[in-house]
Amino acid sequence: MAASPANNPSCRIEIGTSGYSYAEWTAAGFYPQGTGAARMLPLYAERFAVTELNYTWYQMPKAPAVARMAAKVPPAFGFAAKLSRTLTHEVDPGAWRGQAAQYREGIAPLRQSGQLRAVLAQWPPAFERTPANRRYLAELLDALEGLPLAVEFRHPSWAVDRVFAELERRRVTLAAVDTPALDGLFPPLDLVTNPDLFYVRFHGRNARGWRSGNLQQQFDYDYSDTELAQWAGGRILPMSSRSRAGVIFFNNHVRAQAPRNAETLAGLLSEQGLVPNGALSAPEAPRLGTGNWKLET
Amino acid sequence: MDRTVIHLNIADFAVAVERCIEPRLRGRPVIVAPPAAARAAVYDMSEEAFRAGVRKGMALRRARRCCPDAVLLAPRPDRYQRAMTALLQQALPFSPRIEPGEDDGHLFIDATGTGRLLGPPVDLAWRLHRRVRRHLDLNAIWSVAPNKLVAKVASRLVKPSGEYIVGAGEEALFLAPLPLDLLPGMEAADLERLHALNLRRAAQVARLSRAELEVPLGRRAGLIYETVRGIDASPVLVVGERPAAAALDHVFETDTNAGPILEAALYRLVEQAGAELRRRRRAARRVALVLDHSDGVRRARQVKADPATANDFLLFALARRALHLAWTRRVRVRRLRLVCDRLVFPPAQLGLFEAERRAARRRDDLMAAMDRIRRRFGDGALRMGRTLEEASV
Repeated sequence: MAASPANNPSCRIEIGTSGYSYAEWTAAGFYPQGTGAARMLPLYAERFAVTELNYTWYQMPKAPAVARMAAKVPPAFGFAAKLSRTLTHEVDPGAWRGQAAQYREGIAPLRQSGQLRAVLAQWPPAFERTPANRRYLAELLDALEGLPLAVEFRHPSWAVDRVFAELERRRVTLAAVDTPALDGLFPPLDLVTNPDLFYVRFHGRNARGWRSGNLQQQFDYDYSDTELAQWAGGRILPMSSRSRAGVIFFNNHVRAQAPRNAETLAGLLSEQGLVPNGALSAPEAPRLGTGNWKLET
Repeated sequence: MDRTVIHLNIADFAVAVERCIEPRLRGRPVIVAPPAAARAAVYDMSEEAFRAGVRKGMALRRARRCCPDAVLLAPRPDRYQRAMTALLQQALPFSPRIEPGEDDGHLFIDATGTGRLLGPPVDLAWRLHRRVRRHLDLNAIWSVAPNKLVAKVASRLVKPSGEYIVGAGEEALFLAPLPLDLLPGMEAADLERLHALNLRRAAQVARLSRAELEVPLGRRAGLIYETVRGIDASPVLVVGERPAAAALDHVFETDTNAGPILEAALYRLVEQAGAELRRRRRAARRVALVLDHSDGVRRARQVKADPATANDFLLFALARRALHLAWTRRVRVRRLRLVCDRLVFPPAQLGLFEAERRAARRRDDLMAAMDRIRRRFGDGALRMGRTLEEASV
């Protein structure tokens, strides 16, 4: 689904979810009963215009598999790909440059087809702003130059003006996050460090499950309309006025809350004067807001 | 519902376990082999030794020539068994269906339907990998795929370390460019026949229909037709569940080609297999024998058991026939493997003639009496004369 703000008609906003291949989304009614994993992406692409690839964090992307995946969706469908964990969480000082080159190669089919919206470097909570980490981040951004980069910090020490200024200089997007109100987390900000793209991630506000180590507990949250309305009017609208494009992802995948909340946010943005124009799906295909699936409780 | 299978594999398992116990072995070439045996064969080796040309089953003397600076360690199966148990314990919280290999560092975990409780299977596999590294200091290869066959091939591709994810529907495309000898279930004779037709990769074989494959492969065509397409419906067994077969090995301390010694060892295997079958109240419809020769050549033959049986005397007659079918070379034998499979409930059909029925009853009564004596006084309390041949050598 895409929308344009009234005060910046050229800003193209795309809303989607973090990952699309969840068996439980079938049980929740998002996918028709009996949908196999191989059919999920084409069905997802009938309802959303963009998705965030999680598997590229677990495994280095391989160009042939990425090309096959891209062939399953319309040409205008977009992907944001997470940077592999060997470049963010499990870095081998002697091997990371080779890994970065491998990543570029793996993701190349999306680059060539114009479907790569962003490459997201998500840092672990323990990745603090130390001289060594600052140096590594700078070297990594250099090594990945030319890719549409976004960074998501989870340690609050990075929330300083010097970091934002450097990201701005490099035209690297700072991902805005919505998380539970817990100590030690990166704050939710509406800064735009790259006029080409803003990037928002909704992780849910499940404070109890946040540090459980289990994704099913951490990302089990259903946003209320009020919470989403605050984001739409208070942060997304101003960000869209300063950017040419924006991507918004819901990571609260449990029981298909993510696509449901994405639908609600799309409706709210539309009410705020952001007109949906993203007719990416076939005319006869079901769209967001058709209400043909429900949240399983 | 799509199945999701995680394969966890500790490469060079015996060496990895030895390195946990003795960290100074890390980074050095290591060969695990029984040093005292006259014609010892390599049991396992480290990646460094592998790169130097050492292979499993290779004669130790030759292996040492390939890699003279390797550290030589005697195999310690008890250690590997304990490590395997510890590995299994790490996986237990994640699925009721976990199938370990035979103390070889392999573990299949069925993650189908666990998503709502434990999160996406890919994340589960990664967390399991981290757990094993944190608690056991072992670096496991992990793969996630729609079945065991594809998961195993995926692990083989990234050996000695790494991960591989194969999505549902991607099986055939994933296997297509791979050489046939990477696919589990391919036997030397299959490869020979396919190579003779210049078919060397999965994609080339996948272009042929089942009927076309039957021409060079006969009855094996069906299995290979499915293998090259990544089709494998075999389930991941429930923890503790044994495969539907009794499989036993005997490795000769000194390789031999003496008939009485081979038959003595075979009888011991038959006794163990028979006891296992009777304990499980099953009978085998097929008896197979695998011979590993000193030079690494393997021969396998099987015979049909009709009717199905769990009686040692009948099993031995079948196993002996399989042995003589497989044993066509003069090269000495290093290992015997007996497999009694196609298990069924013991047949209830009685013989047609009185004499036949009486003979069967006497055989079964004798077997039952022997089982009772062994249960009460131990396995060694009663031995068949022919097994003493092996002991006297």
